[in-house]
Amino acid sequence: MNEIRLAAILLLLAGGVFFTFVSAVGVIRLPDVYARAHTASQTDTLGAGFVVLAVVLAYGFDADVIKAVLLLVFIFVTNPTAAHAAARAAYEEGIEPWTEGDERR
Amino acid sequence: MSDAESEPDAGGILVPVGESVTLRNTVAYAVQVAEETDAAVIHFVVPVAWRDFGETSNAERSRSGSLLERVEVWANEDVDGADVSVETAIIGDDEYLFSPDDYAAVLAAYASSNGLDRVVVDPEYSPGGNVPLLRPLEVELVRRGFAVEEAPIGQPTRRQQLLGRGGTAGFGIIFVITFGFYQLLGGFTIVTGDAFDFWYELLTGTITAAVVAGALHRITISGTPHPARTAIRVGRLCLYIPYLVYEIVKSNVLITFIILHPKLPIEPRMTRVQSAVWGGPAITTLANSITLTPGTLTVRSDGHDLYVHALFPAAREGLFDGALERAVRFVFYGRASAAIATPEERGDCEILTETDEEGEV
Amino acid sequence: MLETAFLTTAAVLVVLAIAVLYRAIKGPTMQDRVIAVNVLGTNTVVILALLAVALDSPSFLDIALVYALLNFLLAVAISKFTVKRGEVI
Repeated sequence: MNEIRLAAILLLLAGGVFFTFVSAVGVIRLPDVYARAHTASQTDTLGAGFVVLAVVLAYGFDADVIKAVLLLVFIFVTNPTAAHAAARAAYEEGIEPWTEGDERR
Repeated sequence: MSDAESEPDAGGILVPVGESVTLRNTVAYAVQVAEETDAAVIHFVVPVAWRDFGETSNAERSRSGSLLERVEVWANEDVDGADVSVETAIIGDDEYLFSPDDYAAVLAAYASSNGLDRVVVDPEYSPGGNVPLLRPLEVELVRRGFAVEEAPIGQPTRRQQLLGRGGTAGFGIIFVITFGFYQLLGGFTIVTGDAFDFWYELLTGTITAAVVAGALHRITISGTPHPARTAIRVGRLCLYIPYLVYEIVKSNVLITFIILHPKLPIEPRMTRVQSAVWGGPAITTLANSITLTPGTLTVRSDGHDLYVHALFPAAREGLFDGALERAVRFVFYGRASAAIATPEERGDCEILTETDEEGEV
Repeated sequence: MLETAFLTTAAVLVVLAIAVLYRAIKGPTMQDRVIAVNVLGTNTVVILALLAVALDSPSFLDIALVYALLNFLLAVAISKFTVKRGEVI
């Protein structure tokens, strides 16, 4: 039982690191603010979700596990909203979305 | 009262009504205005913000119906033999109503088809249920050439209104949530600790929760809370979350492939989807779900128009297919509403970005 | 074993956060920076949660919770502010 939990935690950590890595690459590599907002809201949320899930598993049935779960919920609610706020600000400032063939920004 | 015979075509008065504490006064005022202006008829209408489907709308419909019956009784009491006839109607139930503009449009259409030229509004009337739409609605109506009057409601009713709506139920809900959260952060020493901990946590928790609830219950809770309906929605939300997580993981794999691909094969497009969900919480849930699902990002929401940035064609098609929209409708309005056509079938979506080389629209 | 895994993960996330800092500095638009800082903040929250386990100090979770909320507020506030007043930085 304990080995299974350990394996699950390690798997989740690996997944979290991988997706956070992808989001970092995305934020650096993608061509414009809207595309970057995609990875900021999605891949990053998934990566953070995996890692916090690992934390939840590590705590098991402790009272503190509720805080970790709450953290998970916060991340899933606030991250897309924050990305939306930034993208909306960009849209209202009149920044045109990048399309194929444009200069990278 | 008015013994002068009014012309049959002296125009009429339109009164949009909704659940509000000052409704009774508004009805009285409308009748008074009708007598002063020799209006022949008063129409009390309930603009409804839902499409006719499912069990939720049946409940809403019967509620609106009984509201109108009540209004009619009041109005006839006030008319008291004067030469004013009273009509009631439910309007707008075959379209989406969201912005003040939408409301003004259906009201104006109804008014012109019934020859009404004057609008009396209840100062506490809030068509959207949770957003302050009244002022912009009045502006829109004036722009469309109607004489708009607000029923004068005195100071006392206003105070009563603040206590009435939001009210004790709203205060209680916020209080309980805040108290629970406070104890959670305190690690539940109120249960596990000794007597001192118990009293300390109880006192500080109660003060904190009372301050927060007192300051925020009117802002956070708008409209009357429906515990049963909320419970059902939370239950359905619990079914929705695993589906959402599955979708997120599935499309994250796709976007990972695209980001790590050496050529970065993306085709970003700005799209506009007119979503068939109603009300603040539902739109927020849908917009956030769209943003969470990789490849699509809600950039702006304008009423139920969502401006969505889609990173690659597959994401775009998924969005137009409307699976998420259907799921959100299931959460908020139940199973029956899931059967509505997809945005693509309704023609409620379009691609906004023009590309130079392909000319794809 | 578990502690090492969590500490290693935290270390890798720190490196990734530093990489994201590139976008926060380079921009070019205000919104790019907001997004980068938001990603950075999310990373920080995750690192705090990892440290809570690795160092066996659950109070880090409280800090992580508050930081997550602050991070969100920051992103929303700056986005609002840039729209109303133009460029801030």
